[in-house]
Amino acid sequence: MEATNASIPPESDPDLAVGLALVRKARRIRLIETVKLGIVWLVLLALLTAGLLQLRISPQYAFQHAGFVLRGVGTTIGVSVVSILIASGLALFGALGRLSRNPIAQGVSGLYISVIRGTPLLIQVYFIYLGLPQIGQQLKELGYPQLAEIFTLGAIEAGILALSLNYGAYMTEIFRAGLQAVGHGQYEAAAALGMTRWQMLRRIILPQAIRIIIPDVGNQFIAMQKDSALVSIMGVWEITFRANRLARKDAKFIEMLLVAAIIYWILTVVSSWLQSRLEKRMAHAYER
Amino acid sequence: MKRLSPVLLVLMAVLLVTACKPPATPAADKLAEVLARGTLIVSTDPAYPPQSELVEGAQRLANTKCAADQRTANELSGFDIEVTKEVARRLGVEACFVTPAWDLIVAGSWADRWDISIGSMTITRPRMEKLYFSQPYYTTPAAFFVHKDNTTFQKPSDLSGKRIGFGTATTYEYYLEGILEIPGETFEVVVQNPVLKPYDTDLFALQDLALGDGVRLDAVLTAQPTGASAIADGLPIKQLGDPVFFEYLAAAVDKAAGKDPVPLIKKVSEIILQMHADGTLAKLSQQFYGLDLASPAAGFDLNALKQW
Repeated sequence: MEATNASIPPESDPDLAVGLALVRKARRIRLIETVKLGIVWLVLLALLTAGLLQLRISPQYAFQHAGFVLRGVGTTIGVSVVSILIASGLALFGALGRLSRNPIAQGVSGLYISVIRGTPLLIQVYFIYLGLPQIGQQLKELGYPQLAEIFTLGAIEAGILALSLNYGAYMTEIFRAGLQAVGHGQYEAAAALGMTRWQMLRRIILPQAIRIIIPDVGNQFIAMQKDSALVSIMGVWEITFRANRLARKDAKFIEMLLVAAIIYWILTVVSSWLQSRLEKRMAHAYER
Repeated sequence: MKRLSPVLLVLMAVLLVTACKPPATPAADKLAEVLARGTLIVSTDPAYPPQSELVEGAQRLANTKCAADQRTANELSGFDIEVTKEVARRLGVEACFVTPAWDLIVAGSWADRWDISIGSMTITRPRMEKLYFSQPYYTTPAAFFVHKDNTTFQKPSDLSGKRIGFGTATTYEYYLEGILEIPGETFEVVVQNPVLKPYDTDLFALQDLALGDGVRLDAVLTAQPTGASAIADGLPIKQLGDPVFFEYLAAAVDKAAGKDPVPLIKKVSEIILQMHADGTLAKLSQQFYGLDLASPAAGFDLNALKQW
């Protein structure tokens, strides 16, 4: 048997040959589709560039001064990553509150979501930066000087708090949907095993809910990278601050705004790619 | 206790953080605090060249006492920055900068995030409710400009009843309407019953004046440096007589500061008077504006503001 098998080259097996041909064909079709898509992107990018070149700008200036703006990328990413982590924590608790039957938890999360989603992020930033220290002053007069220090946040801390609170409120709905998407049988099974509510959440529900939550959180992260520009009003030298203040210096507004826009765009492209990789990883267990 | 509730955990974390904070060293007032710290933390928004702008590619000073979220003196440049550096030098401390947006500075209630604003802030009544002002370190003079070909106007009072252009909601408009009040200064309105011609900005008014003598406007009232730079740009206009009033630009401290800010602003006022007396400010003004805008601020009577 072994000898006969080895003597027959794979090409001579008609079924295998047909299968390989099909695979090759499918691969070719996919390649052609990719090339077509690439051409469309290239044409669109060329049109966009041509349009931008119609602006009365000096591309050399933009190139020469992009480095100064690039030095703000770390701050933008840092603020966004820390904020999305805190926001995820807030959103988890917010969602648990919404789903809970405890009136206090329900009330707290309901009011939180309502107030934060009902007011602009910019005004929240102002309140946290300007308003909180004034509450701290009152506490100090009441005899709690340490609390006063906590209420007086630096620029970056205030920005992170505002972004976290804001995105936490929006992400509460994402987390709620994720938690609810896990089948009811899972809750019952965990309860039957005698798990406490925390154990149930940590070991059974969250691992399944995370897979549903992750893509939307990635979306929020991409949006947050741009909203983090608001911390520039408190004087944090991130991408927007650097671009804007440099523009003021030499009156090159369009140039520097364009530089900032391109940097944000590249950040978004990279984030989207990371997000799709994470999604694939999360989906492993469910693939056939 | 088998498990901790999350609320309790957060509370414990807060208590831990508060417990770890070192007790604040008691300094009697803001000036003492600044001298003890060895740094003067100054707010400036580098959005207003030539007062304040950032320096591209500057490295942080090597052995600075400034905190990590503050900027060292070489990372910024401009007239305000030079004045600040000199004030700090004469105080015997290092100048460190923070760069919040302008409206956060004039809002007051700085929560001791910075000590002082040295940012070309005009002294006005509403701002005096939140801030204490120092001796002004320079001025924005307001002057009339007429077309270069005009020979009939000799002095500002000759413009009574004429068509005068200005930017809307500026001090120039209030002056012409006779409702301008400048804290600490008394002046008389020398132009009677002008025909008011408001513009979006002073620059459009100057453009219209440049069309020809009396074509659309007989004169424009604007900042002397604005007119001077228009002339430098080739507009056929000239200044008519001396400035008619001055706006005073000063340093400011937060009235709601944690420690008494009055000794600090008094000390800074003293230093600014010295810098007027020895010509430092006039020289810096020449360097950045090509005009001596500083000297008229030397005679300003700070006590007339009755701030303390």
